[in-house]
Amino acid sequence: MIEINVNKTARLCLLLKLFLLQSIGYAQSSSSIGDGIYTVAQAERGAEQYAARCASCHSADLRGNSNSPSLRGMAFMFIWEGKSVGELYTKMSAEMPTDQPGGLLSNNYADILAFILRTNEFPSGNQELSPNEIDLNQIIISSN
Amino acid sequence: MKTNYNLCLVGALLGSQIAFSQIIEFDPVTDEMLANPPLGEWLSWRGNQNSWGYSPLDQINSNNVNQLQLVWSWAFDDTGAGQAAPLIHNGVIFIPGPRGVVQALDAANGDLVWEYRPGITASIDDTDRSSSIEELGDAAMPATGYAGVGRGVQKNIAIFDELIYMATENASIVAIDARTGLLVWETQTADPALGYYYTAGPIIANGVLVTGITGCDRYKDDVCFITGHDPLSGEELWRFATVAAPGTPGGDTWGDLALRFRAGADSWQAGSYDPEKNLVYYGTAQAKPWARAVRGTDGDALYTNSTLALNPNTGELNWYYQHLPGETHDMDEVFETVLIDVDGRESIFKMGKLAILWQLDRETGELIKATDMGYQTILNVNPTSGNITYRDGMIPRIGQQIDMCPSTSGFKSWRAMAYSPQTKALYIPITLNCELATFGPTEQVLGGGGTGPVRRTNYPHPDSGGNLGELLVLDVPSAEVKWRYRQRAPINTAALTTAGNLVFVGDWNRYMYAFDAETGEKLWQTRVTTSAQGFPISYMVDDRQYVALPVGVGGASWSGMLPRELTPELSRPRNGNSIYVFALPE
Repeated sequence: MIEINVNKTARLCLLLKLFLLQSIGYAQSSSSIGDGIYTVAQAERGAEQYAARCASCHSADLRGNSNSPSLRGMAFMFIWEGKSVGELYTKMSAEMPTDQPGGLLSNNYADILAFILRTNEFPSGNQELSPNEIDLNQIIISSN
Repeated sequence: MKTNYNLCLVGALLGSQIAFSQIIEFDPVTDEMLANPPLGEWLSWRGNQNSWGYSPLDQINSNNVNQLQLVWSWAFDDTGAGQAAPLIHNGVIFIPGPRGVVQALDAANGDLVWEYRPGITASIDDTDRSSSIEELGDAAMPATGYAGVGRGVQKNIAIFDELIYMATENASIVAIDARTGLLVWETQTADPALGYYYTAGPIIANGVLVTGITGCDRYKDDVCFITGHDPLSGEELWRFATVAAPGTPGGDTWGDLALRFRAGADSWQAGSYDPEKNLVYYGTAQAKPWARAVRGTDGDALYTNSTLALNPNTGELNWYYQHLPGETHDMDEVFETVLIDVDGRESIFKMGKLAILWQLDRETGELIKATDMGYQTILNVNPTSGNITYRDGMIPRIGQQIDMCPSTSGFKSWRAMAYSPQTKALYIPITLNCELATFGPTEQVLGGGGTGPVRRTNYPHPDSGGNLGELLVLDVPSAEVKWRYRQRAPINTAALTTAGNLVFVGDWNRYMYAFDAETGEKLWQTRVTTSAQGFPISYMVDDRQYVALPVGVGGASWSGMLPRELTPELSRPRNGNSIYVFALPE
C-alpha cells in the first residue's frame, strides 16, 4: 500500500515537473547532440562558472592534470562517447566540485555543461540546455 | 615553559603597521644537526635524513599510550588539500598549509607565533616579490577550486640555518625567516602556465636546497627536473632533467619521440640524504601518458619510475635504478626512499604502487632484493635480478579493457612508510583495491598529452575481505610479514614509529590509532573532525613528549574516489584541515 502511494506521488511530481519545465520555456525536444542543444550565451556564462569553480583542477584549457580528467578532445570523447548528456550532467551535479559536491545551482551546472559541449565543438542552437535529467538522458554524446 | 617568542612591531621597521611575534631564542640549524637531530626535535620531513619517520622518544610508550589526551589543536586553511609534514625546532612547530601558507606555533600550547601568507606577508627587506596573474597561470585560479583534489598541496618544508624553505603551487621555491616568517627570497623555477607546480618541498643536503617538481604531464618544449639551490641567495646551482633527451645518455629509451612528447618523471615526494656518501636519493614518477600505446613508445623511458642518486653539490647523476622500465599502467614508484643499514649493507628500501618492496645498495644502485607482496596482478618480478615481465594480456591496448590489481590509485601512495630500529620493521600504509581499466588516446600536440583517459571501474581487492585499509608491517631485511592490520577505511596518513614501541597512523574515517609496534595490538584510538591526513610527528618540549597528528580534506584517489565508490557508507566533512597534539597527563 505504501509503495503504491509513493509511486502515485512520484508520478504526480514528475508530471508537475514536466509541466513546470515546459511552462518556463525549456523545450529540450531535440534528441540529437548535433541539433544545437545549448546557446552561445549559455556557454559563455558557463565559461565564467568554469573558470571560477572548475579550472583550478581541470585546467583553464580543460585538459586536466594527473588528478582530474581532460574535458576536451579525444580524451573527453573516449570517456563519454555513447553515454548520455544526462549522465554527464548527473556526474557533474552529484560529484563536482569535489570540495563541494552539488554545491552549484542546477542552472550553473547546465551552463558549464554547455561550455564543455561548445569547447568540444558541438553546435549551439536557439534554446538553452535545461537542467532536466530526464530530457538530457535522451541525448547521446556522439561525434557522428 | 619559558616563552620562546615575543610580540614586536617588526612591521614598523618596514614602514608598515603590521605586528609580528618572533622567536627570540633560535639556534641556527646546521648540517650536523640535520644529520644528528637533537633529541625531541623534528628537523627533516621524516624526522631524520634517512626518512625513517621514527622518533627516538619513549616517554609515551606501549604501557601508557592509552592515557594520551589532547593538549591543543589548530585549524589551518581549507584552501587546498591538507597533507602537512610539520617540523619542530626550539620548541616551535612549523606547519605547512595549503597554497604556500606556513604557520609557526608554540609547540607546547599551540599559540601562534607568526604566519607567512604568499603575497600578503611582507618581505624582510620590504621589496615586493609577488607574481603577476600571467606568471601564475593556472596557479592563479580561485582558491575555492583547490580544495577538491591534489592542488594547493604543500606536503613538506625544510629548515636550515635561520630560514624555512617551501616549494609552492606556482612553481616557486621560497625562503622565509624562521624567526619572523618574513619573506627572504623567492625564485620561480618553471612556468606554471605550462602545468608545472610543486607539492613536495625541498630537503637540505650538504648545504644545498634540493627540490623536485611535478606537473610534467603535458606536452611542452621542456621536461621535469630536480634542482639544487643556494639556500642563502636562492641562486640555482644545477638542474637535473629527469627525462632523457634525444642524443643524451638514455635518450634512445623513448624511441623516436621528440623531446616535447617525452613527459612524466615528476618528483612529487621529497627524497633522502646520506651525508657520508654525499648523495641525495629521489624517486621519479611514471611516464606520461600512462600507457605505452598512448604515449607512442614501448621503450624504457628513462628516468621515469626510477630511484636517482645525485650529488647535491653538482647535480651529477651517480647512479640510477629503474624499477619498472616502460611502465604502462600508472604504477608510480616516486615515493620515499628509506635508508637502512642491514648487516653492514647500506641499503635503500622503497615501495611503489604495486606493493613490491625494493632493496637497493645505496652505494652502487645494485638491486639486493625485490619482494612482491603478492597483491598485484600485473607483472612478475625476479626477486634477485629485479627484472620485470608483464603477464599475458596485461599490457594495455587502446580501448581494450583489462582487469588489474591495484587500480591506478595504487596499493601504496604518498602515505610514507616508517621504519623502527627497535623492531627492525617497516610500517607501510596500504589501500587494497583493483580496477577494470580501459586506456584511451590523447592528442599528440603541444599542450596535449597528459595522463591519457582511463575508463575505470574500481572494485575491492578479492583478498581484502571488503577492507580498503591496511597497515602492512614487514621485517627487515627478510620482507616477511610481521603483522598486518586491516579495516574498512583507507589508512590515510604516513606512519610514525617511536622508541616507545609504538606506531601511529590515522584513517579516512577520522580515527587515529596507536599500535604496539611489535605485536600489532591496538592500544589507543581517538576520533577527530575530518580524515586523518598528512605526516604524524613526535617531539619533546620541556621534558614532555608530544605526538602531532595532522588531519585534512581534499586529495585524490585514496582520499576521494576510492572511499566514495568502495566505502559509500562512510563519510567525512568537507572542511577541517587541522593538527591535533596529544601528550600524557601532567
